[in-house]
Amino acid sequence: MANKFSLPNLGIGLGLRTAHYSAILEHKPAVDWFEILSENYLRTEGRPLDFLDQIADSYPVVMHGVSLSIGSTDPLDRQYLTELRALRDRTNARWVSDHLCWTGVAGKNTHDLLPMPYTEEALAHVIARTRAVQDFLGAPLALENPSSYAEFASDSMREWEFLGRLAEEADCALLLDVNNVYVSSRNHGFDPLTYLNAIPFERVVQVHVAGHTDHGTHIIDSHIGPVIDPVWQLWAVAHQRSGGVPVLLEWDAEIPSFQETHAEALRARSFMGTTT
Amino acid sequence: MKREPTADALGVHERASATPVHEHVHPQALLGQAPEWAHGSLSLRAQQEWFAAIVSTPQTEPAPVDAESAARLVTPSAKLSSLERIDIYRRGYHARLIECLADDYPVLQHALGEEAFESLCRAYIARHPSTAPSLNYFGRHMAEFCLTQPLAEPGFAADLATLEWAIVLCIHAQTAPTMGLEDLAQVPPDRWPSVRFRVNPSLRILRLAYPVNAYLQGYRRGQSPVVSGARSTIVAVYRTGRSVWRLELEPTLVTLVEALAGGATLEAGLAQVQSLLADKTEQEGASMVSYCFQHSVSSGLFSAISL
Repeated sequence: MANKFSLPNLGIGLGLRTAHYSAILEHKPAVDWFEILSENYLRTEGRPLDFLDQIADSYPVVMHGVSLSIGSTDPLDRQYLTELRALRDRTNARWVSDHLCWTGVAGKNTHDLLPMPYTEEALAHVIARTRAVQDFLGAPLALENPSSYAEFASDSMREWEFLGRLAEEADCALLLDVNNVYVSSRNHGFDPLTYLNAIPFERVVQVHVAGHTDHGTHIIDSHIGPVIDPVWQLWAVAHQRSGGVPVLLEWDAEIPSFQETHAEALRARSFMGTTT
Repeated sequence: MKREPTADALGVHERASATPVHEHVHPQALLGQAPEWAHGSLSLRAQQEWFAAIVSTPQTEPAPVDAESAARLVTPSAKLSSLERIDIYRRGYHARLIECLADDYPVLQHALGEEAFESLCRAYIARHPSTAPSLNYFGRHMAEFCLTQPLAEPGFAADLATLEWAIVLCIHAQTAPTMGLEDLAQVPPDRWPSVRFRVNPSLRILRLAYPVNAYLQGYRRGQSPVVSGARSTIVAVYRTGRSVWRLELEPTLVTLVEALAGGATLEAGLAQVQSLLADKTEQEGASMVSYCFQHSVSSGLFSAISL
C-alpha cells in the first residue's frame, strides 16, 4: 500500500547532524536519504548552507521543522513559511514535516514541543491552520506525533483520535514517530498498539525511531543511544501496516561516529517482516 | 600577527526536537498563585498563555501556579504530580536555551565557570526570550548583557562575548574567494594608485579593551589561560571557505584595511597609513607599509581588486 500522497519510499535515512558533515562529504557513504532540521538552515547565508547544498546535491533530503507551532493561538508566521518554502525549493526536499504541538505564544518561542490540549476547540484550530500551511506550501504537510510528559485536564479525546481526525479533516500527511508513541505510552499509561491501531496508515509518509532516557517515573525523548527493541517492534508494525514506508533514525545527543549511527539505523532491516 | 583558526562553534548540541536531559543546577521551583483568569473553563489561548508563563518563569521567581491550580491545567500521572509533569517542560525550556548559549559561548563558559555561566544564562533567557523560529541568533545580546550583570570581570566577559559572537556571525555570513599576492602582480604599475579592493564580506573588526583573543587562543590550545587586566587589542574575525580566522591587527594595518574597506583607493589608503608613521624614517615607514599590505592580502582579508 503506497501512501495516498504518492510520496516515495526513500528507504532508511539518517537525521543530518553537524557532527557528521565532514564524514559524509569526505566518504560519500551509501545512505538512502537525510532529514535536515529546517531551522538550522534558516536566517543564515554561510557555512551551514554551504554544507547543505553539497549534501542535497548527492542525497535526497526531507525537511523536518521544530518551529511551525501549528497548535499555537498566535497567528501563523508568514515570514517563516516563506523561508521554509524557499529552503524546500533550494534543497528539492521531498516533503516538509513538523510536529503536532505548539512552541510558544504571545510572540515568544520556547523552542520546545509543548503539548496540545486534545479538545474539539484545539482540533478545529489545528485543522484550519494545517490547511492554511498546505495551501501556502502547495504540498501536503506531514505532522508528527510528539513525545509528551503532560496531559491537559481539559482533554476530551486521546492523542491518537485527535491525530486521526486531524489527518482526515485537514487532508495532511503523518510522520509517525514510534519512539514518541512508546515514550508517551509509558508516561501516560496506554498500550502503544492501541495508538497504532487508530493510525490511518495510508497517510503515513515517514517513520521516526530514536533512543530515549528512562528516569523511572517518566521517560524523556532525549534521542540518546540506540533504539530499544520494543521501539523497533513498533517500527515493524508500522512497516507492515503501511506496506513499506521510509524510516529515519534521530540521534541528537552524545552522537557517535557516522558509521555507528548509520549502523544503528540499518538495524531497521532486521525488524522488517517480524510481525504478522 | 599570525592568523589563528577557530574551531567549529556549532555542533556540540543539536538544536533538534529532542528534550535535553542534562540536569543543570536548578533550585526547586518557587510556587506562586494562578492568575485570576485561570479559573473555570479555559480557552485554548488561556491554557497556552498559562502553561507558557509557568514554563518560562525563572527558578528564582515564583511561577504562577501551585499544587491545587496545577491540577486544573494538567492531570497527574501514576507516578508524577501535575506540578512535576509541568516541571519537566520548565527544566527542558531552560536547559535547551542554556545549551544553545553554551554552544555559542564555550570560552565565556570556561572563563566564568559552570555555575556563574548558568546563572548568567538564566538571567539572559529571562531578559531576552527567543522570538524567532531559529536559535541561530538567540545569543546576540550577550556582550551588552554581561555589562549589566554582577560578574567578577564584566568588561572582560563582555569583550570575550563580543569575540565569540563575531565567530558565530562569521559562520553565518557570506564569504567570497580571497585574492592573493599573485593577483597583485597582475596590476600594471601605472594603475596602482587608483586600485581599489573589495574586502572579504565576512570581515568584522573588533576593538577590544581586554586581551580576550589571547585568552581564547590559550583555551583552544588546551592551556589554562587567566583572566587579565585591560589591554587594548584590535582583532579581525573573518571566514575563508569553511574556516573562521582571528587575526590581531596593528594600528597601521587597521587603518589601511578600514580605509580600503570604505572604498578608498590604494594611494589614499597608504597616505592614511603614512600619517601614522611620522616618527619613522622613510625606509622604515615604507617597509612597514609594504609588510602590512602584503600581510593583509595573504591573510585573506580581501576578496578582489577592482581597477
